[in-house]
Amino acid sequence: MILEAREIRKLYGAYVALDGVSLSIREGEFVSIIGPNGAGKSTLINVLTGVLEPSAGTVRFQGKDIGGIGTVALTRLGMARSFQLVQIFPELTVLETLQAATVSRLGRGARLFASLAGDSQVQAGALEVASLFGLSDKAHALARELPQGDKKLLDVASAFALRPEIILLDEPTSGVSTADKHAIMEILVGAAKRIGLRAIIQVEHDMDIVFGYSDRIIALHQGKVLADATPAEIEADARVVDMVVGRRRH
Amino acid sequence: MITNLVNILMGGVFHAAILFLVAAGLQVVFGVQKIFNLACGSFYALGAYTGVSAVGYFTGHGGPPALFIVPLALGGLAVGLIGVVVERGLLRFVYDRDETFQLLLTFALVLMLEDLIRMTWGTAPVSTGGLYLNYGQARILGATVPVYNLIVIAASLAIALGIGWLLSRTVFGRIIRASADNREMAEALGVDMRWVYVRVFTLGTMLGTLGGALVIPATAAMSEMGIELIVEAFAVVVIGGLGSMRGAFVGALVVGILRSVAISVYPELEMLLIYLIVIAVLLWRPRGLFGAAAA
Amino acid sequence: MLLPVAAPTYYVTLMLPFMAYGVVLFGLNLLFGYTGLVSFGHALFIGIGAYTGAVLTTHLGVRHMELILPAAALAAAVVAAPVGALCVRYVKIYFGMLTLAFGMVFYTFLLKFYKLTGGDEGMRMLRPYLLGSEWTGFSKTAYLVGPYYYFSLAVLVLATLLMWRIVRSPFGLCLKTIRDNPLKAESLGVSVPRYRWYAFMISAIYAAVGGALLATPTGNVDPTLVYWTHSGNIVFMVLLGGFSSFFGPLLGAFVFIFLQDTVMSVFPYWRLIFGAVLAFIVIFAPGGLLGLFGRRRPVEVSRA
Repeated sequence: MILEAREIRKLYGAYVALDGVSLSIREGEFVSIIGPNGAGKSTLINVLTGVLEPSAGTVRFQGKDIGGIGTVALTRLGMARSFQLVQIFPELTVLETLQAATVSRLGRGARLFASLAGDSQVQAGALEVASLFGLSDKAHALARELPQGDKKLLDVASAFALRPEIILLDEPTSGVSTADKHAIMEILVGAAKRIGLRAIIQVEHDMDIVFGYSDRIIALHQGKVLADATPAEIEADARVVDMVVGRRRH
Repeated sequence: MITNLVNILMGGVFHAAILFLVAAGLQVVFGVQKIFNLACGSFYALGAYTGVSAVGYFTGHGGPPALFIVPLALGGLAVGLIGVVVERGLLRFVYDRDETFQLLLTFALVLMLEDLIRMTWGTAPVSTGGLYLNYGQARILGATVPVYNLIVIAASLAIALGIGWLLSRTVFGRIIRASADNREMAEALGVDMRWVYVRVFTLGTMLGTLGGALVIPATAAMSEMGIELIVEAFAVVVIGGLGSMRGAFVGALVVGILRSVAISVYPELEMLLIYLIVIAVLLWRPRGLFGAAAA
Repeated sequence: MLLPVAAPTYYVTLMLPFMAYGVVLFGLNLLFGYTGLVSFGHALFIGIGAYTGAVLTTHLGVRHMELILPAAALAAAVVAAPVGALCVRYVKIYFGMLTLAFGMVFYTFLLKFYKLTGGDEGMRMLRPYLLGSEWTGFSKTAYLVGPYYYFSLAVLVLATLLMWRIVRSPFGLCLKTIRDNPLKAESLGVSVPRYRWYAFMISAIYAAVGGALLATPTGNVDPTLVYWTHSGNIVFMVLLGGFSSFFGPLLGAFVFIFLQDTVMSVFPYWRLIFGAVLAFIVIFAPGGLLGLFGRRRPVEVSRA
């Protein structure tokens, strides 16, 4: 078990955002978390990524309690994430973005006088991730000038460049045209295999994507886990189908 | 002992009355346009110099000295209309820009106004002399207080109440509050922001110039007064809370009285104490006493 | 570099504050252009450097510039550590306000505690020894346009080289990520407050070294060095040259110093002109002079 959440409760004043959520992510799994807006997905992600401390319950990553330890510490432990609203560094190039992640991974951020360009490990690491994500020919493009789909890829690619053990993707295909969605997912899964990611968690709304890639689906509803099962079982679960407003898969 | 206290208090409250006017101008502009106007001190100075000139013209043309407060106040208010020119001519170009650039534009204003004042009035201090003594002195608990000071305090209080009434009871006031809260919403509801912005900014400017004019009889107009006042006004709005009128009121009292106390007890302290309080406020409660939750 | 030989003495002496400000501005731009933080109190550190020079030469008998500059750097680091630690947790206008407040605290201290600091008259700074020599045979002007000129130049070159390395280092890249998107930077493992703190301290050290260089020609340091408008002016200089490019600050210092001199010789109201220039830059050319030729037109200073 890589990531484990036990009886997570999160309260905002009197409002209960998460009400006893338990889940576990195992080696090699691709897990999707689904649920309508307001179900508590964002809160859950923030608890799982150490941004929020749970009001009750524990979150453990590889056995270590990560409640509220913060993004930076969590990255050091081996968990990375991407964002729902694409987050990039507008004035940096694709390559520079990936270099930044690699620098952080290698712990070389405090090197004031070393030459970045001369650091072959950083260069190699960044170029490798770029090619995994098909961004090699855009390596010197400014992040803000990329088309939306590439920006998303860059957001995810830079998280991958940290070579984390586990990655949490927040709506990796949102804002991307339907035609590009599968392309992105294929790249993502391919890259994950290549860098040896041990598990992937994603929050997704697009059921095609969810059913197309998940080993397991966790359905969240009003702060509780409604169902936690394989895609086939979920498909057959009337409560979940209702919750997702009747969207069926053929 | 009591006399001393009353003196300190009255001095502090007078200074607070002036500070409130300038700070109120700062707050209303920040609240609606989200711009911290570094030039508010410069407008204050402009009002001061204009006030002196207006009084000089008045008395020079046979106006009775006892009525000097009229040209003083009118002069101060009139020059505040320069706010229209500043807003339409400069500020409106940076509304959609980064805060930093807006701040730097107001700094550019500080520079320009400083020299404009020098060009018009020279560098020597100017004052209205002993005119304010025309209103005599009052005795309060054994202390002697110029009646002029009391008039200014009363006027400032009246303006404070007036602003309060404006904000809560008039249409314009409601528009100001709505725009301060949520500009896009206000626009969506049909408010013409340009119209609001120019009026709000001019209101802010006029409050500042009026403050400058009213302080003159008690001191003198000097070339550094603008850039010196901004740091006090800044302390007022930090302590009171950015964007809040109540904050301007309370903050002005705190700064005015503390400064008065500090000057009489330990002159070296003066503004030092105030800046330390500003730092403390920024560290422990950045939104000040009445400000909205900090970003 | 042959300037002292080729050009009129007057212009050579004008190069001295230019070089001093050059050093200051390289440091300031590390904070502004590369990390996205706008300080309105940076003159505080110029003052620390200047007063260090004055105190060392006048009161402590230390005259070697090679000792004064490191001492100024150390003094700046000592002050910048706590001040920076407090300030970097805030962004944008709150950072600006905090730094302005700290600057004015120091100003008031310098002004009011006149027994210690000389009050508004300030303190003298005696001619520092360069390379061990007092250059006694040289008149004040000869010293300034000769040995001191070359010494300042050497310091500027060294400061430039160092800063060049810094911005091209892994550390420099991390700063840029913080400027562009602190949230994303954190998610990549970059501790935003900590790196901002480092940038703050480095920029403070540069400002102090520049301050010590600045004080020598006039031979006197006073509290106006630390007044908030001085802080505003140096931000202006950076903006003027262009904060998105490495040499922008240097250009800004050069144009400011020489333009100010030119304007002042015909028209005493240089602030009016400069205010108009600043307004023009902010509205029409936020990238500064170098930005007019560069590929990037900055819309924001930072996304903090």
